Amino acid sequence: MNHTNLRTYAPAELDALEARLALRMTARLTEHAADLPQDVSERLRFAREQALERARAARKAEVAEPTVVVGSGSTLSLGRGGEGGASWWVQVASVLPLIALLAGLVFIQRLHNDSQISAAAEIDASLLADDLPPSAYSDPGFVEFLKAPLD
Amino acid sequence: MASDKELSDFLKSIEKRAFKRVAYAVRDDDAALDIVQDSMIRLAEKYIDRPAAEFPLVFQRILSNATMDWFRRQKVRNAVVRNFSEYESSSDDGDFDLLETLASQDESSATESASESVSRAQILLAIDGEVAKLPARQREAFLLRYWEELDVAETASVMGCSEGSVKTHCSRAVHALANALKAKGIEL
Repeated sequence: MNHTNLRTYAPAELDALEARLALRMTARLTEHAADLPQDVSERLRFAREQALERARAARKAEVAEPTVVVGSGSTLSLGRGGEGGASWWVQVASVLPLIALLAGLVFIQRLHNDSQISAAAEIDASLLADDLPPSAYSDPGFVEFLKAPLD
Repeated sequence: MASDKELSDFLKSIEKRAFKRVAYAVRDDDAALDIVQDSMIRLAEKYIDRPAAEFPLVFQRILSNATMDWFRRQKVRNAVVRNFSEYESSSDDGDFDLLETLASQDESSATESASESVSRAQILLAIDGEVAKLPARQREAFLLRYWEELDVAETASVMGCSEGSVKTHCSRAVHALANALKAKGIEL
């Protein structure tokens, strides 16, 4: 225990001491890092070159981008008829199945209605053409008569 | 927008420190090289339109994020959490006088004797080893603040913590290193 050597520092003094010591340590770290193995240095050089290539590519892309916009604008204005015509046909072609489906549903609905109407008409016609008046069917005595066995 | 030369000079100036910083954290040279390369490429692709003066801070941020991504990928989050808890207990240097490590700064004879007893290469290796042993956050703060020479606010922004935390981490790291080096008979 070396409590006898202990000193108290003002915060600013302590900060300065720490910084001075830290900078001496990092100077040694820098010295040590300079002696990296050859293969590591080569990998780092390769990584740097890769990054530079990507930077060049990114710059080229940035420069080319506005030209592409202008070019695509003119292409659009020139080729609008052809491309527009094609897209119109595509739109029509995509809507056709839907129209066919709707038409089919309407046709089935009408067919169903017609068959119901003709069935009801047949019942009405047979009732009216029968000897019995239609009111006889609502008479409880008539129902009993129908249930009774024939002699 | 930074020129190719500015980018190249910047990358050349930081590549070795960046590699060492990541290697301390991941303890795997190949992984560290991959992370540094990815970070360089990310800087070149995404931030090439920034002025070169912004590169140091941006690159350190990219490097920190890439290192954290590596840890996530490796699923060693538990190890990181363990490291985080380490600096809670690093308060056992209360009776250590920082000046003792610097005491010989004006006494060349004492410096000479230290240099004689331990070779320079061994001193460098010892410092390297002690830095590697620091808890992750202390080491990151120490390296960013004093090796990369970012200021406290910049270090805090890279580390995603408060400036007070940076100061605490740095102070603890310096004390821990000084203590460890003194125990080995090394004076700076």
